[in-house]
Amino acid sequence: MTTYILRRLLATIPVMAVVALFVFFLLHLTPGDPAAVIAGDDASPAEVDGIRRKLGLDRPIWEQFGLYVWNLLRGDLGTSIFSNLPVMTLVKQRLEPSLVLAVATLTVAVVLAIPMGVLAAWKARSAIDRVVMGFSVLGFAVPVFLVGYLLIYVFAIQLRWLPVQGYQPLANGIGGTLRSITLPALALGMTYMALIARITRASMLEVLSEDYIRTARAKGVATSSVLLRHALKNAAVPIVTVIGIGFALLISGVVITETVFNIPGLGRLTVDAILKRDYPIIQGLIILFAASKVLVNLLIDISYTLFDPRIRQ
Amino acid sequence: MAALDKTPSGAARADNTEPILSVRDLRTQFFTSDGVVRAVDGVSFDLHRSETLCIVGESGCGKSVTALSILGLIPREIGRVVGGSIRFDGMELTKLDEGEMRRIRGNRISMIFQEPMSSLNPVYTVGFQIAETLRIHQGLSNKAAAERAIEMLALVRIADARRRAGEYPHQLSGGMRQRVMIAIALACNPQVLIADEPTTALDVTIQAQILELMVELKERLGTAIVLITHDLGVVAEVAERVIVMYAGRTAEEATVSELLDNPQHPYTRGLIGSIPRRSTPGARKTTRTRLQEIRGIVPSLREEIPGCAFAPRCSIATERCTSQRPPLETHGPRHSAACWETAPSSALTATSPRS
Amino acid sequence: MAIVAEPLPAPASTRQQSGTMRWVRRHKTIVVGLVILAALFIVAVAAPWLAGDPLQFEPTNRLKKPSGEFWFGTDQFGRDVYSRVVHGARISLIVGLCVAALATFLGLVIGVLCGYYRRIDGIVMRFMDGMMSIPAILLAIALITLMKASLFIVIVAITIPEIPRVVRLVRSVVLSVRARPFIDAAIASGTRNSVIMIRHILPNTAAPLIVQATYVCASAILTEAGLSFLGAGTPPEIPSWGNVISLGRTFFQIAPWIIFFPGLCLAITVLAINLVGDGLRDMLDPRIARRM
Repeated sequence: MTTYILRRLLATIPVMAVVALFVFFLLHLTPGDPAAVIAGDDASPAEVDGIRRKLGLDRPIWEQFGLYVWNLLRGDLGTSIFSNLPVMTLVKQRLEPSLVLAVATLTVAVVLAIPMGVLAAWKARSAIDRVVMGFSVLGFAVPVFLVGYLLIYVFAIQLRWLPVQGYQPLANGIGGTLRSITLPALALGMTYMALIARITRASMLEVLSEDYIRTARAKGVATSSVLLRHALKNAAVPIVTVIGIGFALLISGVVITETVFNIPGLGRLTVDAILKRDYPIIQGLIILFAASKVLVNLLIDISYTLFDPRIRQ
Repeated sequence: MAALDKTPSGAARADNTEPILSVRDLRTQFFTSDGVVRAVDGVSFDLHRSETLCIVGESGCGKSVTALSILGLIPREIGRVVGGSIRFDGMELTKLDEGEMRRIRGNRISMIFQEPMSSLNPVYTVGFQIAETLRIHQGLSNKAAAERAIEMLALVRIADARRRAGEYPHQLSGGMRQRVMIAIALACNPQVLIADEPTTALDVTIQAQILELMVELKERLGTAIVLITHDLGVVAEVAERVIVMYAGRTAEEATVSELLDNPQHPYTRGLIGSIPRRSTPGARKTTRTRLQEIRGIVPSLREEIPGCAFAPRCSIATERCTSQRPPLETHGPRHSAACWETAPSSALTATSPRS
Repeated sequence: MAIVAEPLPAPASTRQQSGTMRWVRRHKTIVVGLVILAALFIVAVAAPWLAGDPLQFEPTNRLKKPSGEFWFGTDQFGRDVYSRVVHGARISLIVGLCVAALATFLGLVIGVLCGYYRRIDGIVMRFMDGMMSIPAILLAIALITLMKASLFIVIVAITIPEIPRVVRLVRSVVLSVRARPFIDAAIASGTRNSVIMIRHILPNTAAPLIVQATYVCASAILTEAGLSFLGAGTPPEIPSWGNVISLGRTFFQIAPWIIFFPGLCLAITVLAINLVGDGLRDMLDPRIARRM
């Protein structure tokens, strides 16, 4: 088991190396002068020059890359062109709302979608199954921002149950945070729920046709126990895998959801950086988001050992 | 052992005692997009206490479906028992609800399946899987159930039972897994054990060991066994009585010696003729004949068969065979067959003295 | 149990229907999806005749509610939202089709080479793994930030993150086909690599690739809308659905229709494409169809 975890851990190194390489060379492989593009159409030659120097684009490329990697290893994601603040500092300022949103969404999605999938598989081809499948087809199609605005319209503007937009930091009390995060988490969780419900159903259907499920029933095990104890644990590996795959969707969704709900998180940082063409921030955020995705997938790989004894050996 | 109390005394085990399991005209159908499949189409048999009954037939003849029907394990979405009766120890199983059936499954009637490799849950230890039955049906505590599970593993002769109880199915060989299945099935001292091709998937040497174990435990615990097989060799070895099934129907029923020595139904004759015989001293009736085959194929169960299901393949079939379904008629003591041609005339049957 | 069955026997009447009707009945989702897409296609092509100038400013008509004159209302510049949405269909379809075609083609080439030439496989797949761990929308944002915004750049930027998934799919198909005996036979009989690839391997990738292409198309349309919504997509002067929604953001509370109508069109389009994709998958792989 230790070797398994160690192997998984080692496997993340080349992935992150590729990400760093990719993000770095993106700047150099794009046609035209990156400094000029970043500076924008109205910039004077002096401004373009300033940006070139700030990004170190005037130095030999291998030296730039060496410095870049060295800084990354030290946890330095670069410096914003406009605010002159380290990207890491900006990230730390904006981390809490995004983290809270991601955790809330993950929780909502998993807690709602897995029972939906289990139910649909158990009652396959019934009305419940059709509703769940219909929801999952819709969940894939409806864009996050549409769901977001619809939720705001119904629950915030019409019913006035929840705040329209904004974020209440945890420091002001968790109640306010939860209220401010409910609608964003639901909007963001929609696609995710659709994904998880669908795979849960498919995986459960697969498992429910296995011989050992028949054995469990022949033993006189109650239906709930057949579903939850005997089937779900066997169906878990594909479900957790999809939760990991969906994490990428979640990250992309965070950027949009934060814009819809005006949440001052990493997503807003990204959007502001786009508008100002502050490439170092985007670069840093990509590294950060990729790293978090790799980390989540690592945790998921490790969690397999909880579900399947065959992986433990 | 508590099981011994259930074993009826030798005197009570006469033919006229109430059978522990009595199946009458059982019909199970599957509903497919292409129509109804009559998987079991009128099967009847009695199982007496502590008896071993074999159900023989080709694959697809409804043996397994019969077994699943008895336990109420036909998935409701695809099929169900549409007729007939299954009486078990005074209860009509077809009338019980799911909760009542659950209390019988694994407790009073257990089942072993063909595939030991896939019939155990891969994510739980074998000890847990045995203990689970005990917790459900006997209300044992986790600890007591775990201890009892180890005893059961020892009973099915798994060495180092305590260590094995903590292992997962993938760490065990096929033969050991089937022993675990037997341990699960017998954990609650059931009155009936249904074994669906329990040795088919195993090596020949292991097959013999498993059969031997089942027979021995049967003797010890007094469990009645329904053994489903396609292997007449197995039948000859362990059965007391035999049902031959064809296309979802009972073709013939007899004691094992009667069936092998004096088969009445042409299908049974074909089956016996198609197995190679050794000329060793143990073999019955050593005759040097050509290995026979049964021509033709098993009929589709999607259409209603008005006559005898075997008629299209039968060498002695007449017009009546294709139009009228032959009833199961007595051909001798404890011997009946469903065949128009080999049956003693109905008048004769009515007055037929015991030979 | 080996018996695969549907819950109800088919009514006798369906058996008498013609082959086409039967096919339609069997593959309802594909038909529904295709009908919606065909309608959308017609709208996109005929946009100039169906609606007025999407760029025409009419300051007196700012933020008008949907009415007989302005079916979908007007935006803060007094532009007709209906006209903008109709023209937006063109952008969405162009982006979806181009990205699906480009990503599928590039993914197919890389995937076949990876699956066939084991030597380059390790390096390329590591690279693909790395790319896959970058969230698609961020990768696209980075590319767009570094280049001058244009529809072409948007298409390229959306295509690149879609490629690795196609590569993985193609590669896995190629690997499984390669393991089959007839490939050994072809190699043993001296067939050239290129011939083996084109004649034996490519046809096997077709079915899963077509299904994947529909999903890429749907995902591309959503990504384009997302990028435009964030202000990092199609140049603002082009009326794409994402751009329309993006502009409606500030006035959402008083003029929700600016967001609602293009959002709805987006959802219906993506739904239609997914329906076709799901239907195709079920048709091409009946084994999965039973489960999904």
